[in-house]
Amino acid sequence: MGSNPRTVPAPMIVEDWDQLTFRVNREAYRSAEIFTRERGWVWTHTWLYLGHETEIPNPNDFKVRTLGGRPLIFCRDTAGEVHAFLNSCPHRGTVLCRESEGSTRLFQCFYHAWTFRNNGDLAAIPDADAYESSDEFKASMGLRSVPRLEIHEGYVFVAFDPDVPPLLEHLGDAADYMTMIEQQHVGGMTTLPGTQQYSVRGNWKLAVENAMDGYHFAPTHNTFVGYLRESGFAVTDDNQYAYNLGNGHGLLVLTGHGGRISMLWEPRFGEDERVRTEQHRAEMTQRLGEKRAHYVADESHILFVFPNLLLFDIEGLSIRQLEPVAPDQTDVRAWQLVPRDEDPAARALRMKTVVSFVGPGGLATPDDIEAYEAVQRGIQATAGTAAPELDYSDMSRGMADEVKGAQGRSTDEGAMRGFWRHWVDAVGIDDGLAVHGERPTTFLEGRDVR
Amino acid sequence: MTAITGTHSVHCGGRTITRPEVEDFLYSEADILDRWDYDGWLALFEPGARYEIPTTDYRPGWSPHETGSFVDDDWDLILARVKRLKSRKAHAENPHSRTHRLVSNVRLSEHTEDSFRVAASFVVHRARDGRFDAYVGWYEHVLVPTGDGLRFRLRRSILGHESLAAGARLSFIL
Ligand code: FES
Ligand SMILES: [Fe+2]
Repeated sequence: MGSNPRTVPAPMIVEDWDQLTFRVNREAYRSAEIFTRERGWVWTHTWLYLGHETEIPNPNDFKVRTLGGRPLIFCRDTAGEVHAFLNSCPHRGTVLCRESEGSTRLFQCFYHAWTFRNNGDLAAIPDADAYESSDEFKASMGLRSVPRLEIHEGYVFVAFDPDVPPLLEHLGDAADYMTMIEQQHVGGMTTLPGTQQYSVRGNWKLAVENAMDGYHFAPTHNTFVGYLRESGFAVTDDNQYAYNLGNGHGLLVLTGHGGRISMLWEPRFGEDERVRTEQHRAEMTQRLGEKRAHYVADESHILFVFPNLLLFDIEGLSIRQLEPVAPDQTDVRAWQLVPRDEDPAARALRMKTVVSFVGPGGLATPDDIEAYEAVQRGIQATAGTAAPELDYSDMSRGMADEVKGAQGRSTDEGAMRGFWRHWVDAVGIDDGLAVHGERPTTFLEGRDVR
Repeated sequence: MTAITGTHSVHCGGRTITRPEVEDFLYSEADILDRWDYDGWLALFEPGARYEIPTTDYRPGWSPHETGSFVDDDWDLILARVKRLKSRKAHAENPHSRTHRLVSNVRLSEHTEDSFRVAASFVVHRARDGRFDAYVGWYEHVLVPTGDGLRFRLRRSILGHESLAAGARLSFIL
């Protein structure tokens, strides 16, 4: 990727360890040039979350999905192997599969009727004798797979760059939190139909910040906090922490806002669920040991896996995927991840509880969306002004503790700072990061949960 | 969508309910919602009622208890939703969206002794933040006749969209 002359004012991030300030240039959210760079660098050279294996449980199942603007087919072939193909006919580029999901052994292009097997092989070309009939030609016309595909605990990741490091290396400490989710229930987890698909008028990074931002919970979700309090649950910010997991990944540990079905009981879940939760907790202790069961069960997590996956282990368990469409527009897709073998009453309670909070029709997510859509509109106020130093957003909260080596709280902005430090590297802007004063040699990362 | 034939009236709860009566009920609900009269709206429900909006990939037969949805409100959540929408702290609707609703293609069918089903089409226009969005879809309601008129037992809005457009979050009643 050549380094184009920069039109955005440097630097993108300013860390000042004398003033204990951390500032992000607002061009990061609105510049078309930055968006193009993100497409070319982040979205082309990083592992991306594609989907969950349980979305295509049976041979011949497929879904189509767009990642980094590229249309893809996510499918399981007749032999049961998972693939991700570019959804584009090798002949002249037509979108091959125009259904959003289904089951098929063959994908046929409607334009000239070339047909492909769901393992990518070219099956038939009408009037093939007009071509040089070598096997080489046929082989070169198979469906194009994404260069890399790896699966961790059912989460399918792809990369458009063959030279990315192994997936587990990229995931680092985030991998274990995904394992913890899979360990929640003895039979493992599965996705459900009923995908929340919506789009927001905001930059994708604002959605990441919002998810890693415990500071906004009480003011933004005032009405939801009121609902929790009325139902007998004491909402608190105590003992809640934010962790940088490295590689841009972040984790919020929450214990004081809202329970989780089958994990953390609250009065609003009712007596039957209390009994089920207790039994389940005892089973987990036996299966995982006391310490591990504690980390798996007793705290809520919001996990961000750079750049496009969010796991909300609150209320129930939502997988949220971000797809940037424009600097000021992001498509979001959200699935519910549930225990494979779940009591129907618990399942019904889970769905109601999750949906009551999470999603564009819930009692909380609309306020989050309102917040980052309002940021997107508001940051125009300082764009291109005579005082470019005003055109920054502040993310200094908690730096005073950070230099002391104290673990940052969930109401601090430490997880966001970890994200932005990684982002500025990943997006490859020269002089993107300006550091003043003495930077700590290391930042606190992760914790021992094993 | 479950096919509902275009009956002009149903016999339910010991009396005959005609399509104009149901149309009037739906029109006045639309008016109440467009005027942001949430107490008035709540009065159109029987206690214990439900409000549902399935996701845009919804297929007939899916149960909100077993699939993801946009809204899956039991009675407590309907009360919480109304309380929230009446609060100045419902940031996503402060200031309120302006909405304008059209209800059409109303069809009735008998369901049980004391309730009947209504299918209808809706178009809801919504102005907010300098934008204007349209929501289209179908209603699949269950109504009960009472001494005070009709009431919702189930209020269900099914979107015709492939996905929710940018800015089109469902922070208001659809
Ligand atoms: S473009 Fe697909 S067969 Fe020609
Ligand atoms: Fe939030």
